[in-house]
Amino acid sequence: MSEAAGRDAPWLVVALPKGRVLERSLAALRRAGAAVEVPEDPRALRYVGDGVSALVMRNADVPTYVDLGVADAGVVGYDVLLESGSRLYAPVDLGFGRCRVSLVRPRGATGPVRRVASKYPRMTTEYLRRIGSPAEVVALSGNVELACLSGLADAVVDVVETGATLAANDLEEVDVIALSSARFVVNRAALKLKSARLRPLIAALREGAER
Amino acid sequence: MTRPSLPEGLRFLAPEEAAERAAAIDALRALYRSWGYARVEVPALERLEPDHPRASKAFKLVDVGGGVLALRSDFTPALARLVRAAYPAVAAGAERPLRLSYDGLVWHAIDPELARGREFTQVGIELVGVSSARADAELIHLARESVRALGLTPRVEVGNPAYVTALFDAAGVADGARASLADAIDRKDQSAVAALVAGHRLRGAAADAILAVPDLYGGPEVLDEALARAPTAAAGQALERLAGVLDEFEDMGDLMLDLGMARRLSYYTGVTFRAYTFDFGQPLLGGGRYDGSLLPRAAGFALGLGRVLAAVASAREQEGPAEGRGGHGTGGARRAGDDPLVASLDDPGARVLRAAGVRVVRAIAADPDAARAEAVTLGADFMLAPPGAGGSPAERLVALRDDVDPAAGERLRQVLAGARA
Repeated sequence: MSEAAGRDAPWLVVALPKGRVLERSLAALRRAGAAVEVPEDPRALRYVGDGVSALVMRNADVPTYVDLGVADAGVVGYDVLLESGSRLYAPVDLGFGRCRVSLVRPRGATGPVRRVASKYPRMTTEYLRRIGSPAEVVALSGNVELACLSGLADAVVDVVETGATLAANDLEEVDVIALSSARFVVNRAALKLKSARLRPLIAALREGAER
Repeated sequence: MTRPSLPEGLRFLAPEEAAERAAAIDALRALYRSWGYARVEVPALERLEPDHPRASKAFKLVDVGGGVLALRSDFTPALARLVRAAYPAVAAGAERPLRLSYDGLVWHAIDPELARGREFTQVGIELVGVSSARADAELIHLARESVRALGLTPRVEVGNPAYVTALFDAAGVADGARASLADAIDRKDQSAVAALVAGHRLRGAAADAILAVPDLYGGPEVLDEALARAPTAAAGQALERLAGVLDEFEDMGDLMLDLGMARRLSYYTGVTFRAYTFDFGQPLLGGGRYDGSLLPRAAGFALGLGRVLAAVASAREQEGPAEGRGGHGTGGARRAGDDPLVASLDDPGARVLRAAGVRVVRAIAADPDAARAEAVTLGADFMLAPPGAGGSPAERLVALRDDVDPAAGERLRQVLAGARA
């Protein structure tokens, strides 16, 4: 049976992020009855199971795949979802991958914030608008702390998990912008067209979510 | 020479694609006409009104006098303006059904991301001057028929944002808190809804109903579930209206309810709906009732033609090239003998064929051999040789390819012979 075929027992395609969250996403799906086979080749990008297959990709790409309906559902951090601006259904908070997205400055800094560097330009822009700051936003793709240390920016908006990286670099968390954890997201059309598959899966994922 | 370039999010349509689009628009126009909808046209340039529901998305231009204009970003407010100008009695509240249809371009000044363009063809209808479950049902039925007319299988989700508004009223949700809560409900983000309900200290039956509403989607049973716990008369009425709409349908098979449809364009006040099709992740059309916002009584829907044609193309791919498909498309392989193309060096003969509805191109090359080569390049099926070649016009018509349907040639020869007799 092709993945597209079969309206009665539709095949599900789930987009999963590479990296630390992948293991836990696969475990959550397995507990909810949607197990996929993890291939031996670590470079494989497609995991297949019974009536379900997983596409493995960078986390920032998950909202795109789900929004355009190439994947019916996916797992993605709430921070990434907010940054994408996609209006996907996000029915389950899976509870793992918890972190904060925060405004971070060098310890003791009190001067005005003129330039903010971030991997989250959209969230940062909205945050600055909300607090009425005229600071400009610089989009970076990684190691954002460096922007503060090198003087590229006088603040950064970045993920804070334990705060250890901040402490090691003599930075401090000034304001929490968003709380994030892994969400199970669903394409708007898929939830309606494949509800026979997705509803029980959502219920089982909620049941098994980590608190 | 510099490479021709277009602004981002805009594109050319080559003949095949343009023909496919025209055929789809024709099919929809015919459908709406057969239901008594009259086609209207509205200008593409409008005066910019800051309270227009899509004002922030509109392309703006400066008029010669210094005023600010906007490119049309939504047909519904434009049609409401037409109704106010042409049917002042209806705009003032007279109850009489007014059925209008439209098709044309809209432009959105947005970041051209996620495979979304900035110029769209929309086709839609508005049913103005009446407000009832029966009127809502007519639109939902036509939404379904529109998708079918283009060869796709529809699934329509129906909701009523008035229900969520009634729950907010009942729970006493403050104005400033409504947008974020409606947004969380619309995204079915159960944990965000729970956090907001707790954060705003909402309690009681209305708060419980707010917590439950994201998951109230499915068949008619969700209405019973919601009715059982409707906290106020207004909430009950919003649900009764949906029940009334469903009662109008003998066949509910492709309708689904979603009581969590909470965040739509600002002008919607009543029953709203969206149509989807299988194996295509985006809505094909959307609409709803906007009584009391743009007009006293009105509802309608707009179909995104680009989306629908993308869905048609993807359905076609999945069916495979060899299989027969629902009969609307004009693009793709030429069907033998269906719509033959004739290249002609005989102007009077060409006139006869055109009068019978046959497509005839004049060969530009005057020399018969060069003209024949030209005709082959054009993909013509037949060549009508010049009178100088001798014989009757019917005898001078020759097929250019072996695979041309002989019956088509016979029909053309009869046309040519008939005119002579």
